[in-house]
Amino acid sequence: MSIEKKTGRPISELMGEGDTPEGLYGALRATFDREVSDVAGGRPLGPVRNRWLGRRSGLLAAANENWLKAAPRELKPTVGRLQNALRRHAGKALKAAAKAAKAPKRRSAAVDRTLPGPVRHMGAVHPIRRALEDVLRIFRPLGYTVAEGPEIETFFYNFEALNFPPDHPAVDEMDTLFLRDGMLLRTHTSPCQVRIMEARRPPLRYVVHGKVYRNDTPDATHSPMFHQLEMFAVDEGITFGDLKGTLEHFVRNFFGPSTQARFRPSYFPFTEPSAEVDITCPFCSGHGCRICKQTGFIEVLGCGMIDPEVLRHSGLDPRRYRGFAAGFGLDRFAMLKYGIDDILLMYQGDARFLARFR
Amino acid sequence: MRILLSWVEDFVEVRESPQELADALTMAGMAVDAIETEAGETVLEFDITSNRPDAMNHLGMAREVAAIYRRPLRVPRAKVPERGVAAGSRASVQIEDAELCARYVGRVFEDVRVTPSPGWIRKRLELCGVRSINNLADLTNYALLEMGQPTHAFDLDTLAGRSIVVRRAREDETLLTLDGVRRNLGPGHLAICDSERPVALAGVMGGAETEITASTRNVLLEAAWFKPSAIRNASREFKLHTEASHRFERGADWEAAPLASDRIGAMLSEMGQGRALPGRVDCYPREQALGAIRLSRERLALHLGVALEDAEVESILKVLGFAPVNESDGWRVRALSRRLDVSREVDLIEEVARIHGFAKIPSTLPAVGTAPVPTPREQEDRKMRAVVSALGYDETIGFSFISSDESRRFGTGKAVKLRNPLSSLWDVMRDTAVPTMLQAVQWNLRRNHPNVRLAEFGRVYKRSGDAYEEPRTLTLGASGAARPPVWSEGTRQFGFYDLKADVQALLDPFSCGPLRFEAKGLPGYYDSARSAVVIVGHRRIATFGRIDRAIAARRKLRQDVWIAEIGLDRVYRSELREPRHSALPKVPAVSRDLSLLVPDGVEFERIAETARSSPDFERLEALEVYRGKTVPSGWYSLLVRVWWQRLDESLTDELVNAHAKDLRLRLASGLGVKQRT
Repeated sequence: MSIEKKTGRPISELMGEGDTPEGLYGALRATFDREVSDVAGGRPLGPVRNRWLGRRSGLLAAANENWLKAAPRELKPTVGRLQNALRRHAGKALKAAAKAAKAPKRRSAAVDRTLPGPVRHMGAVHPIRRALEDVLRIFRPLGYTVAEGPEIETFFYNFEALNFPPDHPAVDEMDTLFLRDGMLLRTHTSPCQVRIMEARRPPLRYVVHGKVYRNDTPDATHSPMFHQLEMFAVDEGITFGDLKGTLEHFVRNFFGPSTQARFRPSYFPFTEPSAEVDITCPFCSGHGCRICKQTGFIEVLGCGMIDPEVLRHSGLDPRRYRGFAAGFGLDRFAMLKYGIDDILLMYQGDARFLARFR
Repeated sequence: MRILLSWVEDFVEVRESPQELADALTMAGMAVDAIETEAGETVLEFDITSNRPDAMNHLGMAREVAAIYRRPLRVPRAKVPERGVAAGSRASVQIEDAELCARYVGRVFEDVRVTPSPGWIRKRLELCGVRSINNLADLTNYALLEMGQPTHAFDLDTLAGRSIVVRRAREDETLLTLDGVRRNLGPGHLAICDSERPVALAGVMGGAETEITASTRNVLLEAAWFKPSAIRNASREFKLHTEASHRFERGADWEAAPLASDRIGAMLSEMGQGRALPGRVDCYPREQALGAIRLSRERLALHLGVALEDAEVESILKVLGFAPVNESDGWRVRALSRRLDVSREVDLIEEVARIHGFAKIPSTLPAVGTAPVPTPREQEDRKMRAVVSALGYDETIGFSFISSDESRRFGTGKAVKLRNPLSSLWDVMRDTAVPTMLQAVQWNLRRNHPNVRLAEFGRVYKRSGDAYEEPRTLTLGASGAARPPVWSEGTRQFGFYDLKADVQALLDPFSCGPLRFEAKGLPGYYDSARSAVVIVGHRRIATFGRIDRAIAARRKLRQDVWIAEIGLDRVYRSELREPRHSALPKVPAVSRDLSLLVPDGVEFERIAETARSSPDFERLEALEVYRGKTVPSGWYSLLVRVWWQRLDESLTDELVNAHAKDLRLRLASGLGVKQRT
């Protein structure tokens, strides 16, 4: 019978079979000593400790239960002494073994501080998202509300309400992706202007952003889907000067404090006057480089005073309200800011590319 | 558009250097892309916006220069010496469709000598990128480049009945155009015809049979105004983009038609190469009337945010040709046929502002004016994105198009179709983001980047009755090792429980109540043994699992790919949990390990349920699940650690033992779970 089994049986039974308390505890101690010496040989200490000193199911606990507690009254002092002696011995031996087990490690060489740990990294925030957050960070404190709007739009909101003449080239299938029922994929975020003006009364300060679509074959600078951001303000006292001031504040905050903006007259059906905004090239600070084609300027956004026709289409009285609007491609902003030279990188999901934005 | 500086100087004085001039024009809305010097001439390359066809010629550009510098404009003189019988007796013009052709001016020249043009004309044309042909063709091009009015010269003797009829082509009529192509015409096309047949495609290209040849003696010169949309449609349909169509489709000037015909007549007779017959054959069925436009001083100031001097405003309007008349509150100007883009007060405001200079308008910031409206679900979205990033998924963005075949395999098969798709692989709007994600994962695997974690926040597109829905989805894609391989960890492949934990981490911030993970309703592209549908109440909010290996193989995915689809709009119906503190227990929790032998059909959740009903239960940890040699078949071994806790008193060993014992008993009686020994 193994000593483990013996600890499970009452001492009186064992003595009936010829065992003595001294013999039983002697055998128990021998087993213990053998196992502790195995620890020095490399056996893990934890299980041995649990096996012997485990509070509930340890062998010593079992001996305490079945041998000491169950001992006849006259044997109790003897068994108690043996039990206590073994417990003290086991405690000491295990402590020493633990110390010994630790000791060689302490003597081993220091960690190789150059070995990598199990690195965990944050997932990348997409450059377009990052650029968006940067833009919103600038406009939120100015009281702008953020909206997205539907990507599947009606002809009315995408073109008509925005004062596009019916034979404007953009209205064509050459430029616009249509659904079979005449709905279309919005070609810009401007339809949201009208939707918001219809739904809410001025004063309005809005940033609208999201995916827009063009019937363009993909290449390094064109993508049939890209991201646009548009901001607009409608109020009683909005002026062209406000548009200039707001956008100057914006480009300085986005591209750097020394960025200069210049407003060039241009043409959009939904603004009057219309302007394109060039900024001093962020790559050469306006001295002229390859990216700005030696002009020192880069065209970054289109803007203007909201055309009275657009206000009227949205149910606002253009004699009372005026507004300004500006829009740009977030892809292009991200490309300029992070030096990305191919728009298609944005949409491939290439982890090597994305890892740069962790 | 190429503009010769010397040609502009015919009409206005230029004192500035080419660069200064280019900058000034650019800042007035005439964007100069490049300045070149060619054959001793300065050539400016312009990018002119489509609303300014009036500036797409040298005179028009000179007018801009005159306006910017407030200098006089010298309009070219065009006094035509006329001799002989009246032009109307030699040729007739008739417009049948006055809507598409508002005016048609014919001039007749006799005793024409067709020769090469003088060198200076050839040089100007060539510098502008126009090939020299003969004196007549060159003069029409010259007038076009100078004044912006397209004209066309017919050999009058080849016109049947010596007449011009402007009408829609008839069914089955054809025209051999100057480029040598025979074109089939129909009622959709506006044609210039003689008494029998089409002789030109109006506003786009002339016909070969009536073109000027070396033997031409008599010429009918056309200068007309066509409706822009008619010209654009024809130009698009026949893929013929000509100098003429470019002008007409942006809007020509009906007042310029007689002037251009005179200009050509004057030049031709000056060169002694033809004689104009007296008078123009001017067919102008309905004179186009243009009204007056008012500009209020106050609204000008309100719009721009600055009050300009009256003298400045008047000077700008005058030099642009608007002939302003003072009124008490501002000005009244006449609309100009060459500037159809200026028809309203706000258009005049733009003219004044751009010539005054946008740069001179002071910048201001508007008052905030209004409190921003919180974007719906902004907080929820921010939280989701934070967790996605913390879990190590790289954010990607995919195209919204997939193929209808992919929609059938992965979506509803009823994806919204595009009428003019970019390609057959992109012919529908995606009704599922799974193929997009598989493609992105594949992109990385192909580049020997085997450990992939990608996440896409995007939309899918669905028809719902008469309207469209664009529900937002979060799609996760994972493949490869569970952790980046490193010496201190074993390598383990990403698996079901990794993905489950990620999905749970994403849903955890929301107060959506207990999640159920079920097999029912799994789409067929998932491996049903390694996938789950996540249910909250009766709502299915997510699906995740391993892509079926056969399907993965068909897509040439060479390793397991795991996908999770989370319906954000559905998740966001549950609020974000608001943190709420409650008192911490004063004493630590106590645990017991239970080593169980569980019948195969009993899911972990049944055991957890039973544990949760144990008194003083705090939590349950699943430490080990094992099936193997030492476990009898039909069973699995499960090691759990159960923690018990009371808020303000310690649990005695006896009580915890009793709890453990009771739990074991209930596991045995309720679920047939045995103890492992």
